[in-house]
Amino acid sequence: MELKTIELTKKFGRKTAVNHLNVTLTNGVYGLLGANGAGKTTFMRLLCNIQTPTSGKIVLNGKNIVGLGEKYRSLLGYLPQQFGYYPDFTALDFLLYVSALKGLSEKSAKKKSKELLEAVGLSAESGHKIKTFSGGMKQRLGIAQAMLNNPHILILDEPTAGLDPKERVRFRNLISVFAKNRIVILSTHIVSDVEFIAEEIIMMKSGQIVHFGKPQEITSEIDGQVWECTVLAAYAEEYAASFNTSNLRNTDRGETILRIISDRPPMENAVRVQPNLEDLYLFYFKGDTEE
Amino acid sequence: MKKLIQYELRKIFSKRLTQAALIALLLLSVLLVFSTYQNMYASDGKGCEGTGRTAVEVDKAIAEKYEGLLTDEKVQQMMTEFKPKQDLHGMNAVYLYQNALQSALFRSFSDLNGDWNGLSVSDVFGNEKIKIGYTYGLLKTSQNMVRIFVVLSLVIAIMTAPVFSGEYGGVDNIILTSKYGKTKCWAAKVIGSILAALIVTAVVSAINLVCAFILYGSSGLDCSILFAPVDFATGYIPFNITCGTLLKYQILLAFTSTISITGVTLVLSAICKNQIAALVASAAIYFFPIMLPVTEASSLFKIITLLPLYHTQFVSLMSVGQISGNVLYALMAVPVALIFMGIGVFISRRVFANHQVS
Ligand SMILES: Nc1ncnc2c1ncn2[C@@H]1O[C@H](COP(=O)(O)OP(=O)(O)OP(=O)(O)O)[C@@H](O)[C@H]1O
Ligand SMILES: [Mg+2]
Repeated sequence: MELKTIELTKKFGRKTAVNHLNVTLTNGVYGLLGANGAGKTTFMRLLCNIQTPTSGKIVLNGKNIVGLGEKYRSLLGYLPQQFGYYPDFTALDFLLYVSALKGLSEKSAKKKSKELLEAVGLSAESGHKIKTFSGGMKQRLGIAQAMLNNPHILILDEPTAGLDPKERVRFRNLISVFAKNRIVILSTHIVSDVEFIAEEIIMMKSGQIVHFGKPQEITSEIDGQVWECTVLAAYAEEYAASFNTSNLRNTDRGETILRIISDRPPMENAVRVQPNLEDLYLFYFKGDTEE
Repeated sequence: MKKLIQYELRKIFSKRLTQAALIALLLLSVLLVFSTYQNMYASDGKGCEGTGRTAVEVDKAIAEKYEGLLTDEKVQQMMTEFKPKQDLHGMNAVYLYQNALQSALFRSFSDLNGDWNGLSVSDVFGNEKIKIGYTYGLLKTSQNMVRIFVVLSLVIAIMTAPVFSGEYGGVDNIILTSKYGKTKCWAAKVIGSILAALIVTAVVSAINLVCAFILYGSSGLDCSILFAPVDFATGYIPFNITCGTLLKYQILLAFTSTISITGVTLVLSAICKNQIAALVASAAIYFFPIMLPVTEASSLFKIITLLPLYHTQFVSLMSVGQISGNVLYALMAVPVALIFMGIGVFISRRVFANHQVS
């Protein structure tokens, strides 16, 4: 299966949210990273055909997804960044409803819904009304509904937002098992979430892809540019502000270790370290947001 | 598909606002039915008089005596029976109300003093055969149903307004990316709304009719509406149709009104970002004909009376004309309702399927 965008562009007035994007996605897990407003959500909505591109198109195995209609949507699973629900439906009701929308038979709807409630850790709450759910519980219900139809293309917009660490691990495992022979795209701000499960990382900035590659390879770009320096805790803040700092860590000796991204050693005692994705993210975005 | 329609019905009827509106409508019906019943008054001039049940019994007993075709003989008999016994102090005898039959009689055949005005049945009604009997209760029911059906149309708008717009709060994301989201789900929404509207209209009509038959009996169904008490005199439908035909038309027009308003509201629901906006817009469209400065003399009147508000205010629509015999121009409301629904179906489909989530 090959999902391809061709010169995909979406403008809102003068703001270009997705800008002449060309990308080819084949089976695998893709981690979509980018600052707030980079265009991740817009890109995903375009992929789901719930927003119309200003120009360009999306093709699945060479066919425009708009023309594929039901056929395309039957392959699709989507977790919106924000979504609504029916407050008086129970979790199970909601999944059964979405199953009906997705064309599952009543029998397989029941089976699949129960399975997924189990998989996201909601089986004890399956009979509770959604309005009684916490944010993380709703989020997990959202993940479950996206997967009801065993989608070949699974698009998850910030699936781990609001999940506690235990649930996050559960989610990662769920996706890793599920992802075989499928296209899974997930956006996140938590770099460590994709570091482990994504096979490819897509970095977006101002509606364009600035980087595309495997997590191991992708960090090689900044090989030799990540440093750790130890400074007195009192000055740590000052140093951190003047460099592109990805992390601060206090030691028990009143010192602070700064992790700095810089092409030259930022100070004398700097030690070169292995770059990780978070460093790369900061390398591209320098902590700024685009609005 | 059946499943999806069931879900839509469930969504419609589980809305708090809808439930409140339905209860209010039910209370209004019950209130109108019983206050009308309690306020009935009749006297047979021989010492038997009263309100409520007594009044209905008196009216029915009198009507029974004269039941059948209205003849000049019967007119004379009734004039004698109902001749005012006390001094009128200059009041027009037509407004002296003793009972329903007397009121109907005096309206056409009495002079100021309550004496025969010299007109024969054919002078007043031409060649029409006028069957008389106890029609007052049914006519009053019909009058009440006008108010009930106006409110009903609003209730239907309340029920239908969230059908699409209610999803725009965020479930649209999920619906429109699911296999049937843009196809069967849309169809289920349209069918569900129509079903819900039909069910509610049928139930409300049934409640009112059943109450009427219980309280007033059904013997007046085949009697003419023309020989009716004075409150149905001016501006009332000028055709010799039976009470049964009248009620049939009125119920039919209640359905055409709800179907039309469902169509209109579906369009607005698909277009508007939220359900309150859809509801307000729909109510505005429904009531807008009130503002039109058109009188019955105008040629536009024939068209304006076809708007849904006038389906429920059925008197003017039914007065427009007779196509032939018992078939009235009002039947045109049916194609009109279908057109409104057609517009609703067509536009809501396009708008919903192309809806841009945000
Ligand atoms: N419906 C809309 N109308 C106008 N502007 C929009 C709309 N949706 C998105 N935008 C703009 O498009 C840009 C990209 O937004 P998008 O939601 O895709 O970003 P994002 O990468 O998902 O951000 P976040 O990390 O905050 O979720 C932003 O500048 C946003 O303001
Ligand atoms: Mg987003």
